[in-house]
Amino acid sequence: MDRTPFDPATLEVVWTRLISAVDEAAAALVRTAFSTVVRESYDFSCVITDVEGRSIAQATESIPVFIGTLPRTVRHMLQAFPPETLSPGDVLITNDAWMGTGHLPDVNVAKPIFVGGRLVAFAASTAHAPDIGGRSGQNYIRDIFEEGLQIPIMKLIDRGVVDETIVAVMRANVRAADDVLGDLWAQVTALDVVERRLTVLMQEYELTDLGPLAEEIQGRSETAMRRAIAALPNGTYRHSLTTDGALEPVRIETAVTITDDEMIIDFEGSSAQIDGAAINVPFCYSYAFTVYAAKCILSPDIPNNEGAFLPIVVKAPAGSIVNSQFPTSGGSRNQVGHFLPVGVFGALANVIPDRVMGASGSPLWSIKQSGVTEDGRPYANLFFFNGGMGASHRRDGENCLSWPSNVSNSPVEMIERQAPMRVTRKRLREGSGGAGTHRGGLGQEIVFEVLSPTPIVVTFGADRTRVAAEGGAGGAPGALGATLINGKAVDAKETYTVHRGDTVSLLTPGAGGFGPPERRAPDAVLADSLEGYAGAGE
Amino acid sequence: MVSIAVMFLHAYANPAHERAAQAILRERFPDLFVSISSEIAPEIREFERASTTVANAYIKPIADRYLDNLGREIAALGIGAPLFMMLSNGGLTHVREAKRTPIQLLESGPAAGALAGAFFGDRSAAKSVLAFDMGGTTAKLSVVDDGEPLIGYSFEAAREKRFIEGSGLPINISTIELIEIGAGGGSIAHLDSLGLLKVGPQSAGSQPGPACYGRGGSEPTVTDANLLLGYLNPDFFAGGTIAISTDAATGAMQKIGAATDMSPIGVAWGIHNVVNESMASAARVHIAERGKDPRRYALLTTGGGGPLHGCEVARKLGIKRIVCPPGAGVASALGLLVAPARVDRVSTIAAPLATMDWPAFEAAYAALEADALSVIRDTGIDPETAEVTRLADLRYIGQGFELVTALPPGPYGPGALAGIMAAFEAAYRAVFSRTPPGSVEVVNIRVSARAPAGGADLQVRAPDGATLADALKTSRPVYFGLAGDFVATPVYDRRLLGAGSDIAGPAVIEEPESTLIVPQDGRLVVENSGNLVVTLG
Repeated sequence: MDRTPFDPATLEVVWTRLISAVDEAAAALVRTAFSTVVRESYDFSCVITDVEGRSIAQATESIPVFIGTLPRTVRHMLQAFPPETLSPGDVLITNDAWMGTGHLPDVNVAKPIFVGGRLVAFAASTAHAPDIGGRSGQNYIRDIFEEGLQIPIMKLIDRGVVDETIVAVMRANVRAADDVLGDLWAQVTALDVVERRLTVLMQEYELTDLGPLAEEIQGRSETAMRRAIAALPNGTYRHSLTTDGALEPVRIETAVTITDDEMIIDFEGSSAQIDGAAINVPFCYSYAFTVYAAKCILSPDIPNNEGAFLPIVVKAPAGSIVNSQFPTSGGSRNQVGHFLPVGVFGALANVIPDRVMGASGSPLWSIKQSGVTEDGRPYANLFFFNGGMGASHRRDGENCLSWPSNVSNSPVEMIERQAPMRVTRKRLREGSGGAGTHRGGLGQEIVFEVLSPTPIVVTFGADRTRVAAEGGAGGAPGALGATLINGKAVDAKETYTVHRGDTVSLLTPGAGGFGPPERRAPDAVLADSLEGYAGAGE
Repeated sequence: MVSIAVMFLHAYANPAHERAAQAILRERFPDLFVSISSEIAPEIREFERASTTVANAYIKPIADRYLDNLGREIAALGIGAPLFMMLSNGGLTHVREAKRTPIQLLESGPAAGALAGAFFGDRSAAKSVLAFDMGGTTAKLSVVDDGEPLIGYSFEAAREKRFIEGSGLPINISTIELIEIGAGGGSIAHLDSLGLLKVGPQSAGSQPGPACYGRGGSEPTVTDANLLLGYLNPDFFAGGTIAISTDAATGAMQKIGAATDMSPIGVAWGIHNVVNESMASAARVHIAERGKDPRRYALLTTGGGGPLHGCEVARKLGIKRIVCPPGAGVASALGLLVAPARVDRVSTIAAPLATMDWPAFEAAYAALEADALSVIRDTGIDPETAEVTRLADLRYIGQGFELVTALPPGPYGPGALAGIMAAFEAAYRAVFSRTPPGSVEVVNIRVSARAPAGGADLQVRAPDGATLADALKTSRPVYFGLAGDFVATPVYDRRLLGAGSDIAGPAVIEEPESTLIVPQDGRLVVENSGNLVVTLG
């Protein structure tokens, strides 16, 4: 490695300081945001990138997918606004689905940071807005125009002056405008924190330029990732999976090719995009979940920055469900995107079976219910329920814990206080985890009885009701999930109206087991049968 | 079976069924320990309440036996003073209350440390203090605002990954808020897969201990680095009770030195600097999460390592003032002597403020207050001397989480609404900068009763009359980051430093339990209280 001004101790100190700067920014965002989606679910990210939009440091509390999307967004912004058009005090904004995160509720902002009159870095943030207008959240919508308000790349703030036109347009086009704009100003506050901390850091270490530091960080991360890839044998490894889809099933074909210290992940052969459904995935989101999965397996300890991803190339045919084109909507892109890590793991299982895990009861399950009370007050609630997590060569899968993205299960006591429904049952689904040397995590059953005298509209976030989570290395698949109304299975992608006395049930899917079931330790088999955990497929 | 936890849905709101179950269990199984969720943690959210109740059931038989033995043995020694226990919230209580909900004892040790921090800070007119305690394996930080340690209302026990938030069991008790970092004297330095110098969280502990102890340890630790940098005196280690080897410390640096082309001293300064940065970063984020600015605090250093690292950690945080109390190595024990009696009670109400049933609301507060004051009375303290605070967990309707807010005093009627709203809005702005539109609901109500317990007038003094020359032991080369080199530095014996002594850095102040390092730009003053106060330039 080239000699640089940074010895391993100084580099560690400066790097730690950079990460603490974005962590402080994240704390400021959480503290000043209005929506629970940011404050409780932590559905956001903050990063520092170099002047070319390559990430250097990311906040510790960030959801996985934004690791991969946000630096790309900054690079798109740089194309629209090259460095010579940027000034201190500018803040750029966009929620473009293809240049952002794949759907419109995610609002991205970036601020160029100038030290000593020179552009040295960008601070950037993505946060999931509580609303973006349109019909966001529904599974069947025509196109991006129905999804909500689109904000092209623009200067939200120009040399410290807020563009009130953008603000007025946003205010007029979203529900809960105070929350949406409150979150936006919280994001801007977070960018200011990064700017202040980075300026002090550079002065303290007498840096006029972050280039050498960025190169050192990215270079060391890239080297570590290349070493991890090179440890795998060359070759092409394939995997094929099917999901419930919407209107029609979705097939995801994954081919992972390793050539020395480089990895190409190609989704050629996957289903075409589906017009009229919101489960299409723009490439930015596919890329992010794909490299995230590769990093989880190969080198999970490397701090998140661009260098770790340079040796990985992701390809997806234009017009496929994993590289959907304008104007198709990706409003609920997670319902396909959450399966991409399963594809990557499945392909790599051919070569490193002991490092992957069985498939999980994806995606994150939820029920949205809304209505109008007897006295005319509209209300809406969103509750989350996880399926099981896949088993690995080291241990059984966790029960009711989603992967690759996870939100806490909603407490019964809160549900019953917030919604005009009674939870008549909530329990682990006996036998729903796939059998294996290590058993897949169990799904859960939750049953609601409608108490409301006025009708309630329910929409599910659900999949794996037709295609089970497969096992790994000879493990059995987990149990299928199901959505039921009055005990009868219904299509999980449709929207339903229910009335007093009706019951609504969610049976979240179990996860795949790992390794041949006959090798399961006898005491674990006994414990399973005592606890009612015995694996599916046994 | 010796102990059982009873947990029914919505028992926070209506405990009748849990109490009936408790009565049946007591009748049928009189020897069984019974913990019911409506008594242990009467708060909404079934998982957290159950987890707290089960943890209480788990320790109840053990605590019961232990506290009985403790009381008996103390009485057998002829000690007539009543026995009090420190709770996690920094308050004292009597043994019967401790036995009822022993889960409240969980974090009592660190709570005592934070109280000592508040006490010693106050004696140097520092009302807002960042208490920094660094020992052999971990460092702990707690925030004291206006003389009061910050209190949190939930906690995680038994983290699977010790320092990772979210990997433990939720325990809903009131505790002094503190963060723990895997950085102490025994923390081991290594190069990670990227070739970066990392320190901890692995620790050499006391066996084999740092390489310089010569007990078989060969990995470089923070203590080895501090020895090579001249911060520790090889002839006066732990007051001269442990023989240590500088050669062994130098040898331990070799492996990292060879891989990185750095000298042993370069590696040692790297280790010292890296561990300081990781403590400062954790403090920065912890303070930012609470919406506060570290620069308005004084850093109060305790534990064996606190005074060694304090000035450089303070510098990284932008803190100018460092307070080093007497007996810094054993300060937590002093916290027990100065603690007030304190009782916290909680109950779930769950109702919008706008349509509040005020007589019922007032009655609920009055019941909690009566309960809290009865415990104060049973602790042998006149309840008239107690200060009672009403708090509530409030939120805007539709939000997922509540803000614990101190409220104006009661009694409450419909006229109290404006005052409660104003208190909530002010607290909300302090944390979240601005208030959203919307109406507010109460989730939990809380009462906190505190009364002085007699130790608050404790005196600790510096020796009078000794001169600086009396205290000067020797001079030795000490490495300072500002100089980037060793500097000849005077070494003083703290026990002989008189009040009013004024020393310009660099300086080393030694006492048996710890060593204070004053950098070149620091100025040290010995206060009448016995505190050493360093001001950075």
